[in-house]
Amino acid sequence: MPPRLSPFVQRLPPRFLCPAVPRSFFRALGSIQPKPRTNPERFNHGHDLPVLISSRTSAFLRKEPMLPLRTGAIAIKKGMSAIYDPVTAKRIPCTVLQLDRCQVISHKRRDIHGYWAVQVGCGTKEAHNVSRPERGHFAAQGVPLKRHLAEFRVKNAEGLPEIGSTISADLFQEGQFVDARAITRGMGFAGGMKRHGFSGQPASHGNSLTHRAMGSAGASQGSGSRVLPGKKMAGRMGAEMHTVQNLKILKVDVENGIIVVNGAVPGPKKGIVKLQDAIMKPWPNIDPSVGVSGMGSTAEKLEASV
Amino acid sequence: MSLAPSSARPLACLKQALRQCRAERHQLRQYATAESHYPSLQTRYPAPSPGFRTSHATKQNRPEVNMKKIAVVPPPRSIKKVCPDPIEALYQSQLKTLDPTGARTRLFAKTNVDRAQVGDILLVRLKSGDPFSGVCINIRRRHSPIDTAVLLRNQLTRVGVEMWFKIYSPNVEGIEVVQRKQGRRARRAKLYYMRKPSHDMGSVEGVTAQYIRQRAGGTTRGKAGGQKKKSKSKK
Repeated sequence: MPPRLSPFVQRLPPRFLCPAVPRSFFRALGSIQPKPRTNPERFNHGHDLPVLISSRTSAFLRKEPMLPLRTGAIAIKKGMSAIYDPVTAKRIPCTVLQLDRCQVISHKRRDIHGYWAVQVGCGTKEAHNVSRPERGHFAAQGVPLKRHLAEFRVKNAEGLPEIGSTISADLFQEGQFVDARAITRGMGFAGGMKRHGFSGQPASHGNSLTHRAMGSAGASQGSGSRVLPGKKMAGRMGAEMHTVQNLKILKVDVENGIIVVNGAVPGPKKGIVKLQDAIMKPWPNIDPSVGVSGMGSTAEKLEASV
Repeated sequence: MSLAPSSARPLACLKQALRQCRAERHQLRQYATAESHYPSLQTRYPAPSPGFRTSHATKQNRPEVNMKKIAVVPPPRSIKKVCPDPIEALYQSQLKTLDPTGARTRLFAKTNVDRAQVGDILLVRLKSGDPFSGVCINIRRRHSPIDTAVLLRNQLTRVGVEMWFKIYSPNVEGIEVVQRKQGRRARRAKLYYMRKPSHDMGSVEGVTAQYIRQRAGGTTRGKAGGQKKKSKSKK
């Protein structure tokens, strides 16, 4: 039995006038009921609603009280030494860091980028080793080329020093506490004993060929006969960002750009270390202009020279 | 082969020349045919421009012709020019406060012929506590001059006592040479054999007491250690 055509299709021009139109399609269409349109008002749109916890704004607000008021500095790790504590006459282990042409490169603004931060650079690079887009970034700000760049988040616009200003060692005062962030030395693929401090197996008492193994990865039937997610195992160790908090500044030498901090700092010698006021201690009561000498940007002069 | 003409065959010299000519012609013919036989040897691309260098082949190194020039700000002065070795600079600044006169450094400097050596009896005066004297049986030099330390051995109440002293420690007020090693100089860097009963010097309290008495009285009785103490000693 031939299917009956719907009245809609019957109203179409005859087949010889428009042969490309598939008639069977319209036949099927007739059976679909149009759905009621979704009501846009079913979502909460008001401006006075509380900020969702998982939103970007709320993440920013959560972090805000922890953010330092001042910028930090990029230092180069020069090695470890020890100095005498003048009070207790004890020899304290320390790390010697040096600032090398540390300058403010650009700003990150809340209204444009979503957060407040100071972009700081150190070292230098030959122009022919820097890609064109990167050179453009430096030229737009009117600052020299830098080998290393890092951002230091600050609380508000008052923590943004002038672009092009030089950061000197007296940004930090003796006795102040800082947080040092650096990339740790890479250990490569390390076993469980080295990576997580597992105990390994005994050296003797009938043990053979199994002295540094991980051991069991979990129970059998009772816990599902599977390895639980996050199980500590052998793998790549090191070469990741690490923060050491609350390092005391023992000595500051502005002329030589030397900062001496108490204890060890992650990373190898010649590695870069990010220093900023310790977030676990009260903020230092220092004028924000100290340690940041406003050399100014030469962006206008550069524009004229090209 | 020589081309000297022989009297018997005057035209023989031509034979050599003609032979060379023939060989050359044969070679030329081969060069001419090489191209037609091996098209892969022909260059497919035009010759590079005169200024071209192989490093330009990568996109990054391509010369920026017909592009807007990007000005580069000259970098500031490198800190390496100012202070190439910050750890050494830290040592020097430390030495300035720990040993302002340089006496302590001279007393243990390897360049100084009158330096304190193992086998000498040393007296270490401390800021807090009694002075300690003993035979120096080891001088430990590590990393930097600041880490230099001496190991002194003595007997107190007939018990052997050894003490390490960092020579630049703020606790150490002064170090004096009480007596030079008697006889020949020590043939070892570390006189640990003195711990053995057969080599033990015993107590040096007597020598030290005499030295202190002398210094207080200002009388020099021509003792070996007597004259030397004046040039050395304390900061």
